Amino acid sequence: MAYAYLFKYIIIGDTGVGKSCLLLQFTDKRFQPVHDLTIGVEFGARMITIDGKQIKLQIWDTAGQEAFRSITRSYYRGAAGALLVYDITRRDTFNHLTTWLEDARQHSNSNMVIMLIGNKSDLESRREVKKEEGEAFAREHGLVFMETSAKTAANVEEAFINTAKEIYEKIQEGVFDINNEANGIKIGPQHSNAGAGGAGGAGAGGAPPGGCC
Amino acid sequence: MLSRFSDVLQTAADVLAPPATRLEDFEYHWKMVVNFYQNYEESSKVHFEDTRVPHHLHQMLQLIVDEEKEQQGGTVGPCLEAVIQRSVGVLDALSLLVSVDRPPGARYSALTLATSLLRRTRSPCLNSPHVYRPLQRMLLICNESPASPTEKEEVELLLTLCGLVRKEPGLANIFTTPFVEDTASLMMIPEDIKTLIPIKSKAQTPKKNPLFEVDMAPNPLKTVSIVRVNKDDNYVQSSSSAGDDNVSSKSHKTVYDDNDKFLLIDLLLSYLDSADNQVVLRACEGVLIVSSLAEDDIAALVTGCSPACERLAARLQRRYRALPPDLDPAAVDQLSITWAYVAQDFGDKNYNNFYGYRELTAFFSWLDYIDTLMKECHPIIACHLSRAFRTQFLEPAAEELAEPRSAILATAVLAKCLRVLDSQDLVNEFSSWLAGEGEGGAGEWGPLRALALRCLRGDHDLTLETLRFFEAVIEKGTEHSIDRLVLSRVCARAYRAAGPALQDERERLNDLSLARERERARESLATDERAGGLLAHADDNIHRVVNSFLLLLPRGVQSQPLADCEHYVHDAQRHYQLWLDITSTYNWPTEVTCADTASSTHSYDSRPEADLHLDDAFAPVHAHCEPKPSRGACGGAGGCAFTQALVLRSRDAPTTSEEEFDAGPFLKMLFKLLSTMPDQPYQVNLHLTSIISKLALLPHPNLHEYLLNPDLPTAKTTPTLFKTLQEVARRLTMEVPRIKNYKKVIENTRLQLMSEDPSYDEIGSHNQLVESLIVLEEFCKELAAIAFVKHQHQLQQQPHQHQR
Repeated sequence: MAYAYLFKYIIIGDTGVGKSCLLLQFTDKRFQPVHDLTIGVEFGARMITIDGKQIKLQIWDTAGQEAFRSITRSYYRGAAGALLVYDITRRDTFNHLTTWLEDARQHSNSNMVIMLIGNKSDLESRREVKKEEGEAFAREHGLVFMETSAKTAANVEEAFINTAKEIYEKIQEGVFDINNEANGIKIGPQHSNAGAGGAGGAGAGGAPPGGCC
Repeated sequence: MLSRFSDVLQTAADVLAPPATRLEDFEYHWKMVVNFYQNYEESSKVHFEDTRVPHHLHQMLQLIVDEEKEQQGGTVGPCLEAVIQRSVGVLDALSLLVSVDRPPGARYSALTLATSLLRRTRSPCLNSPHVYRPLQRMLLICNESPASPTEKEEVELLLTLCGLVRKEPGLANIFTTPFVEDTASLMMIPEDIKTLIPIKSKAQTPKKNPLFEVDMAPNPLKTVSIVRVNKDDNYVQSSSSAGDDNVSSKSHKTVYDDNDKFLLIDLLLSYLDSADNQVVLRACEGVLIVSSLAEDDIAALVTGCSPACERLAARLQRRYRALPPDLDPAAVDQLSITWAYVAQDFGDKNYNNFYGYRELTAFFSWLDYIDTLMKECHPIIACHLSRAFRTQFLEPAAEELAEPRSAILATAVLAKCLRVLDSQDLVNEFSSWLAGEGEGGAGEWGPLRALALRCLRGDHDLTLETLRFFEAVIEKGTEHSIDRLVLSRVCARAYRAAGPALQDERERLNDLSLARERERARESLATDERAGGLLAHADDNIHRVVNSFLLLLPRGVQSQPLADCEHYVHDAQRHYQLWLDITSTYNWPTEVTCADTASSTHSYDSRPEADLHLDDAFAPVHAHCEPKPSRGACGGAGGCAFTQALVLRSRDAPTTSEEEFDAGPFLKMLFKLLSTMPDQPYQVNLHLTSIISKLALLPHPNLHEYLLNPDLPTAKTTPTLFKTLQEVARRLTMEVPRIKNYKKVIENTRLQLMSEDPSYDEIGSHNQLVESLIVLEEFCKELAAIAFVKHQHQLQQQPHQHQR
């Protein structure tokens, strides 16, 4: 399917914070409570619409375990956006954010948009990290912040789409050199015309799961 | 109330007929699987997924996962225990299903089930022979039929095993020779399983498989006992610990012989040639995981017992050779490739955007992979791999460089290689290959000599590409390559003229006329804005240097007589700082020396500010040339460090200066091209001057003196940058005014060049002469800025020294 832009994303964060579930919720609109441990990196894709333009998101879901860090590092370079995920019910996953951020900043291009995600917002009773803490961390490090639930799908669309919007704005501002693929952005073969349904603004494009590449 | 009632009912029912234990459930599902196969008609066309077998197998898996959640302290639950003790031979059964694929689709499911077992359980007891042997068998059976439809599942299983090894490195041992029996016996499905699942499996005699060219002595398991052999087993007591007596806690195997194999890596390698990019990607990830283990033993296995490094490097060479010869070299430069993303990019038709794109991408993504691997892997592997990179890839690539038809493309590709490499080991390997390692003779220079020489053949396209290559060599400079290219030529200071010239110089310095000349220069600058504030704080000597460059071309032919040099100063500052950082660890002297080799073993205080400054050279004569002074030592010696005298009194001086100075092929080539600037295309001149300004920026005192001191006393035959520039300027000053309406032509050409209109290059009717004039003009500004910035830097470093 033709797209105006293609953005490459990665999802990073400790093991068990729900990275794979976020991806599955976004691409397949479903939640899978039992999930195999991610080994290496998993891939997903979906089409969205921003500003009437078709944008293809290619998303790489990385393994959170330390054992696979050498693989994860290979994906930082060449990504336009990153979702840095922690689990609001596990303080330690929040405490590790700094390490993740350092790793990401060190290995990625400086323009990469990073979205901080506090996942499992449905488990309010087991919350260990206050929303304010997530907001404060994001403010301090210049990230966009959002709490999501891969289970109830709350804010999942928004997380991915807002990241895309921010990348899109950076392109408009000329921050990203879109001709350099090292930035994780590619221009489509032709800019598709804003479809009848694309009434401007961001919204999930129609592409159903599996309609990728 | 109602719930309590139902609880009571339930309790009563439990007493009468207690619910099945997990193990009973587990055994039940196993029986159902066996029952199915006992009654299975092999001619049946029904698909595996349409039978009840997957359901029962999944239930078994789920029971293992569930029981683990309840186990305390890493103990093994009864279901997994049954697997480990092989009272339930479900894993052997899966390996049989992989072999026979009956009902159709069984192979796929068996592989994914095995993978899930390893991924969903925290401790799948991989160290138990009844776990790892069926898994190995599955992989080996799959390996017998390359490019099978289940490749993806196979490599997932393999990668999962890599992940487990990564977490518990001792497990690597189960993939090494003593634990890997010869193919025939390892692939043999146990008889009892064949009875339970009576499907005529295909012939089990292994085909000729390179993985097993060397057959091992029979049953080595009996003689080696790093892994506990599970015979008369007290291995699993009712709740034995999974963590304490396994492979990883025991000794590692440390001695290998030639026949040893490292099955894990060998299997991974066999998937690298898959047509499916996803499969290749997974195999690459597996190699990366195993290679990045910190254990020396495993690194030794990878290098000593597998052809991994050689295979990876040979693959690079194959991809290099696969590049279409008529590829546009300009396309090479634009690429930006991350190995990990390529598998997806290749799936996207929109990525196929120019001729040869796939081949180029395939090559550079593999280079990126090797580069990544180098950065992540164990030092033993890095050392081995970088050598393989040289012997398998670089050395054969040299042939293409020399081949006229492929020379331009090969040069462009290799330059790009050097630019994108990030692993310092590979950059060093590249540099020592390029610049050679031997002492003296033709071999001394490696391929660099040939590259330098061919720039003088008059083939502008080839020259341009080769210059771009040299630019990369300098940008990615290593101490070795820069030394070979230029420093080894200037370190003896042989470019300086012998005795008489020195005498002249001494007189000249004392000459009043000189003082008048300097006064004049200062006056001219005071009214001349071309220096653009450049010299506001500078003293006499830097004035002289800067002026020499800025006044090289008469104002009458300058395209922009009133331009300032601000942006050149800005750029020079930035680049100089970069070079100072890069070279801070180099063994470079801090002052002009007459050393025989710059790379001598003497230790210098190699602080980044190391530099000679021209103004110092004009300070009152204070003969001083210790062979290798360090900044610290000289600082203590009464400030002599900064009185860079023009006079050489060193005992080395007479001998070195008697010999004729040999600038070496590289500098000679640069000066030669410089002198023919008016006859060369704009792009060639642009890259040529860019290389020279890069060299001028290097914080090496001798090179600095040689390139940036216009007043350097030299023998007539000794080429210098300034002399060459003067020559070109003279020619241009004569020829340009002959052009009709030349001032207008200069102005227009300048406008066109500065507009950076890409279509300009396409237009045929350039005035090459005028273009070269403008390049020269800008180049002079750049050199002046560089000299100035280096001088400024020196002032900042040692302000007190200059108050004298």
